[in-house]
Amino acid sequence: MIRRTAFALVAWVCLTCAGLAQTPAIASLTFPVLTGRVVDEAGLLSAADRASLTASLADLEAKTTDQLVVVTLKSLQGTTIEDYGYQLGRNWGIGQKDKDSGVLLIVAAGERKVRIEVGYGLEGTHTDAMTKLVIESAILPAFKTGDFPGGIKSGIDQIIQLLRGEASSGRPVQVQTASPASSGAKIPVWLAIVLAVGGVGLLIYCAVAGGAVFRGIMQILFLLALSGRGDSSRGKSSSFSGGGGSFGGGGSSGSW
Amino acid sequence: MPGLVVRASRSFRFVFLIPLFSLVLAGCGYNNIPTYEEQAKAKWSDVLNQYQRRSDLIPNLVETVKGFAKQESSVLEAVTSARATATSVKVDANTMTDPETFKKFQEAQAQLSGSLGRLLAISENYPELKSNQNYLALQSQLEGTENRIAVARHDYIEAVRVYNTELKTFPGWLWARLFYSSSKPLEEFTVADSVKTVPAVRF
Repeated sequence: MIRRTAFALVAWVCLTCAGLAQTPAIASLTFPVLTGRVVDEAGLLSAADRASLTASLADLEAKTTDQLVVVTLKSLQGTTIEDYGYQLGRNWGIGQKDKDSGVLLIVAAGERKVRIEVGYGLEGTHTDAMTKLVIESAILPAFKTGDFPGGIKSGIDQIIQLLRGEASSGRPVQVQTASPASSGAKIPVWLAIVLAVGGVGLLIYCAVAGGAVFRGIMQILFLLALSGRGDSSRGKSSSFSGGGGSFGGGGSSGSW
Repeated sequence: MPGLVVRASRSFRFVFLIPLFSLVLAGCGYNNIPTYEEQAKAKWSDVLNQYQRRSDLIPNLVETVKGFAKQESSVLEAVTSARATATSVKVDANTMTDPETFKKFQEAQAQLSGSLGRLLAISENYPELKSNQNYLALQSQLEGTENRIAVARHDYIEAVRVYNTELKTFPGWLWARLFYSSSKPLEEFTVADSVKTVPAVRF
């Protein structure tokens, strides 16, 4: 009986430790909220510009599943645009999760820097040299004259052309199937299996074996249920959200 | 007949103890050390990949610069020899825990970064070279690669931090003692700054 109690106690302590150990990493940078496909923190675009850009970006995602997002920033918070860019892309999870097919056009108004950040999956077609060319030829000439909406629009047009060209030459085009929702469903499925296989058996065993272990098991189940809460808040909604893509520093930058 | 029941209930118990046991072990972080170690190793391969990519770009760059600036042979040779040194120091997943090799690797890459920086700097003096399409493409690729190296190093450092912390803190510390005596702390980058600085090029 003492052994059973001790075992239950150790199990409980261990699970509590595991719960405590999962403290989230603290990010040193703060990122704007992903309110849509155009996040205009620096206020460079008019409402009409934002609407027309949003429409063409949504159209792009519907056709190719690639997520392209425009973001203007007031400040880079003391870091470089390269450092900020990939972290912002990861934070928002732009691009489809399995393809990492996201692109960000970042304009840092305060630092006078612009960057095209390319997700892992598109580095092959959006090479550094090509993004550099887009920045030098389409974006910077307009920015130098103070025409931010014009530069952003022509830059986006060129990026879309690149993405479209890629889509028509071989890559299968498929309609997005709400991947945020499916990624959120993973844990509950896993949890359900564990609970079904382990839990039922354990409960039967506990009913045979008696008190102390039973309490231990209930602790375990309770803690497991707690740890499974994770992604459930990320439901399917009509507003835009990142597909979970990741970035590794591809793309290029320029300044005006 | 009673004996049979007892035996049956014993094996019954055993069957249901297995999931309990694995649950408790997993909850206690028994799997963390190998998981984090594999993650760190994967991040390390990323780092090596990006350094390799940089290394692959160099011969082309050297050839292009040579076409416009033959007289800078000392700088060109420095880059070529630094590249040779850097590629001769191999740090794979097995030598990650060896501080000596790791340090050599870092120093060789830092040396290469330095000589590459000089090569890009002297290129500034040659207007024809600067406007050459091939050179511009190579230059943007090199900048991109330096940036990817920085990201890969950052991810690796983070993965190593998680893994090393797990080795040193409870309950990972206990598992390391009991079952993973071969798992050693991994090396972090210490020769940082010279590699991190992207060669500054102005147009």
